[in-house]
Amino acid sequence: MGFLKKALSLHKQEQKVVEKMRSHLKLLCSTCDSFKNALEANSRNAMRDVADLEREGDSIRREIISDIYEGAFLPYFRSDLCQFVEVVDHVFDAVKDTASCYGETSLPEELREECIRVALLNVRICEMLFLTFEAMLRGEDLREKTLAIRIYEKKVDDIKLSLFRNARSIAVNGFWQGKMLADFISGLTSISDIIEDASDHLQIILVTIR
Amino acid sequence: MKLHEFVTTKTERIDCDKSVYDAIEKMVDRRIRSLVVTFPGKEVDCGVITARDIVFKLLAKGLDPNGVKVSEIASRPLVCVDKDAELTEIAQVMKNAGVARVFVCAEESIMGVVSLLDLMSAALVGRARGNGLS
Repeated sequence: MGFLKKALSLHKQEQKVVEKMRSHLKLLCSTCDSFKNALEANSRNAMRDVADLEREGDSIRREIISDIYEGAFLPYFRSDLCQFVEVVDHVFDAVKDTASCYGETSLPEELREECIRVALLNVRICEMLFLTFEAMLRGEDLREKTLAIRIYEKKVDDIKLSLFRNARSIAVNGFWQGKMLADFISGLTSISDIIEDASDHLQIILVTIR
Repeated sequence: MKLHEFVTTKTERIDCDKSVYDAIEKMVDRRIRSLVVTFPGKEVDCGVITARDIVFKLLAKGLDPNGVKVSEIASRPLVCVDKDAELTEIAQVMKNAGVARVFVCAEESIMGVVSLLDLMSAALVGRARGNGLS
């Protein structure tokens, strides 16, 4: 925090925003974790909780953006911070949309194990994004943290290939069942991509501060 | 540091009676460097065929991959590690056996495969998390 304090005159108003951004990211980790647990338990009810968490995330995002434009941080710095918050919000949206698809489809058992693996990797990437955010606040070099995110993302990409290959050989009952299954897999495997974008934004913020 | 997040759980297989050409086709098609070779009997009695085996034992000698069975050049038994093995332990097993990938075995089944690249990835993620390299 000392680094930011020096570079950005981190006063009460800014501290409030930083705390909310922290909560936003922690909530994202919890949302991904709830998604993974619901998938493991094959519980559509538990999957509905993801939508509630997304709404909560939405409300924190609005507060952060409003606090920033009410005067927190120097003006040249605000748009980068807002963009980061918006990208994190896209992650929430992707998790929620994927959870909705799950409610509309029946996941074939032969795909379940790999989907759970992707969900677990998504939780890990979120945790790493949180660690990257904390490292940015301390003004540390983010190279190792963003590399870890890219490693996880690559792992998800590998599983995505195999998931789609296996999905193609599964018979579906009609167009909509097939579409919902394809949307579920696409959504599940796109979450890590968006988190990677968010980590790139943290790097941009750090460069801007320096 | 535990490796379970980096284990590739989907292992591609090929029957021991298939030709090496079939194996090459599958490896190129799936963009992978090894296949588990299934022999009659228990799953852990399987073997492995790698791109290295195919190139050095066959192609470099000018042999026809259609005329050689996978079982003739597959390595057996599989080099296995426990699912809870630590990164350093796995690296030591790889070093001692002179192999680039080991299989994660539990009881009598194969749970996945770990390659050198997976070990490096796990080590880097461990560092980023503040767990150090091991």
